[in-house]
Amino acid sequence: MSAVRTTCPFCLCGCESVVTAGYQYRMEYPADARVNQGRLCPRGNSASLVVDHPKRLAYPLLDGREVSWDRAMSYCRDALSASKPEELAIVYSRGLTDAEVRLVRGFARSQGVSNLVCGYIEPGNCFVRRLKGVKAATLDDVRTAKTMLLVGDVFSTSPVAAGPMVEARYKDRRNRLIVIDCIKTRQAGFAHLFLQVKPGTEPFALVGIAALLDRALAGVDVARFASLSGIEQQQLEQAAAMLGNGPGFVGSSMSLGRNAYPVLHSLASQLVALKAGMPFTGFAEARVSEGEMSFGQLRQAAGEERVKSLFWFGGMYPYSYPELLPEATKLEHRVATSIFRPERAIPGLVLPVPSELEKESVGHSYWGEVNRHAVAAPCSGSRTVGRILGELASVAETPEKPLPAAGVEEALKMAAGAAATHVPGPGPVLVGEKKAIGIGGLYEAEADVCVNPTAAQGLGVVKGSCVVLTTRTGTGEFLVHLTDAVPAGVLSIGVNRHGNRVLFPLEFDAAGTAAMPPVRVEVRRSATAPRPAPKTKAIA
Amino acid sequence: MAKRLALRLDYCIGCRACEAACRSRFKGEARIRYGETATTALLPMACRHCTDPLCAAACPFEVIRRDEATGVVFQSSFHCVGCRSCALACPFGVIDTNLRRRISQKCSLCDDRPEGPRCAATCPTGALQFVEESELPEKQVGVALSARSPNWRRG
Repeated sequence: MSAVRTTCPFCLCGCESVVTAGYQYRMEYPADARVNQGRLCPRGNSASLVVDHPKRLAYPLLDGREVSWDRAMSYCRDALSASKPEELAIVYSRGLTDAEVRLVRGFARSQGVSNLVCGYIEPGNCFVRRLKGVKAATLDDVRTAKTMLLVGDVFSTSPVAAGPMVEARYKDRRNRLIVIDCIKTRQAGFAHLFLQVKPGTEPFALVGIAALLDRALAGVDVARFASLSGIEQQQLEQAAAMLGNGPGFVGSSMSLGRNAYPVLHSLASQLVALKAGMPFTGFAEARVSEGEMSFGQLRQAAGEERVKSLFWFGGMYPYSYPELLPEATKLEHRVATSIFRPERAIPGLVLPVPSELEKESVGHSYWGEVNRHAVAAPCSGSRTVGRILGELASVAETPEKPLPAAGVEEALKMAAGAAATHVPGPGPVLVGEKKAIGIGGLYEAEADVCVNPTAAQGLGVVKGSCVVLTTRTGTGEFLVHLTDAVPAGVLSIGVNRHGNRVLFPLEFDAAGTAAMPPVRVEVRRSATAPRPAPKTKAIA
Repeated sequence: MAKRLALRLDYCIGCRACEAACRSRFKGEARIRYGETATTALLPMACRHCTDPLCAAACPFEVIRRDEATGVVFQSSFHCVGCRSCALACPFGVIDTNLRRRISQKCSLCDDRPEGPRCAATCPTGALQFVEESELPEKQVGVALSARSPNWRRG
């Protein structure tokens, strides 16, 4: 029996845990850990289940059939030789270590490929966009904070990071917590001031607060920004006054189906931090550097058949989630890596790779650099990304190009542009809630839709009713959960499950950055009896 | 004096880490559950380890017993036949009627782990604590809660 002390790879909190191998993998909670004192969130706890998960992929799959590694590698070589470098796209995503991302970059360079894309389209990744002059928050900043501004559901993104925040909130009666969100999450329950904005309009409220903190900000009409986000100007003034309470920090988080302007959300949160003189942390599951080409541009190129072969390394796999890249069906060669066996037979090649828990790496966290150790031997039959790339070409690690930090003017211009085109949709709006619940849907079916009790009367539904939600991209059956956490006119569903995500459209801005905004939804009662798990499908 | 699980309600963020820790130990079956209490609040629910346990009284084969020294109500899963009498008898509804391994699941306060239950060790905000009965806070939890959190979410 061996016990390995490692750092949890499932978000950037940097929690230390011990995974014990024996008859079965078990978790242990080291009380002397600096960041988490042995505390772990549901995702961290599921680490022991991922290592020996029954659905782990143990052999390459070609068009859904098992093949040998020799056959798989010859398919990869065919894909490389059949297309010119400009017809080849290489995508990297989360699930890779920083060193592996550098190897993928080196592979792209060795093949002369310029279509290098970051495939991690979670909105939280937009926190890689920095604003000039904003300092990163440290753990001590959080522990000694007197004023905290949290945008979005930080507690659900990184529950362990919520520990010091809750303690700081209760430490002194004069300490203040401000929360900006469109639904009343558990985190909002801790707030002294809760600004419940309209879905997707957090950046407008933030820019309004920044303008109140610094009257010199040009071209910001606070009253208009307040009305765009659906709150009173007085509430923004209250928030701006509270931010002068004392030292603290600004934390921000995003979720699929919740944020309409992810890049602006990131910059606006940092703008408030800058004007309040506070450090900032963007809470997200992973941080993957930007590629040479944006995901929107890749979709366009694949649609116009300028790309013929695709190599996809890491998670958010486009074929088990076809709505991500519907143009993938037009490609001639498709190679992807996966940890789990795909649920259905998919075209192209799938290569088994070790999970994040089976690799040694040096990574980053909110609070600094962390070391991760392999808690188990790599899954039998899997090969590391480094070995796969090494067999195809001689590659050297190529460092990423740092993204230039944006200026205040750029953020304000972006906000003005979004404000000019923002159209509040009529009718009920569906928003997504992303929670830290296990990996790969291990814990939850996410069959519930949250409905406001007063709105439920108008819709003719009661608790436990089965309803069919239809948006312009998908439809699904859900069970009604009545709660005053959502206001009338807003419904919320979980987005950890892929089937629930198809209800949200994937949209791209001019630069090709992906967003999954809140969407207008049609609600009707289902004719069928309530079912425990919903069945969702995308509308073609 | 025996140690007990205590929930500081005003620290709970509803992340369900307690349930996940229990599931990861018992391979998919949680003995502490994050569930609905009296149809108004969603909170962790764990065995109270009653002084006179009704589950033990209902068990036809005396599989559930109370250790008088520690006060822990424990179950021998080897002898359980999965009749669900304990689940029906429990006044707090903490024993799950959904039997995946065809035997009932009963919290034993992680008696295989000397430091105490995993749910308390993992709780990200320290809401769930493993403390001596004498250390239990004197304050009324509900009063502290309403005074501290005007926006408290129940469901």
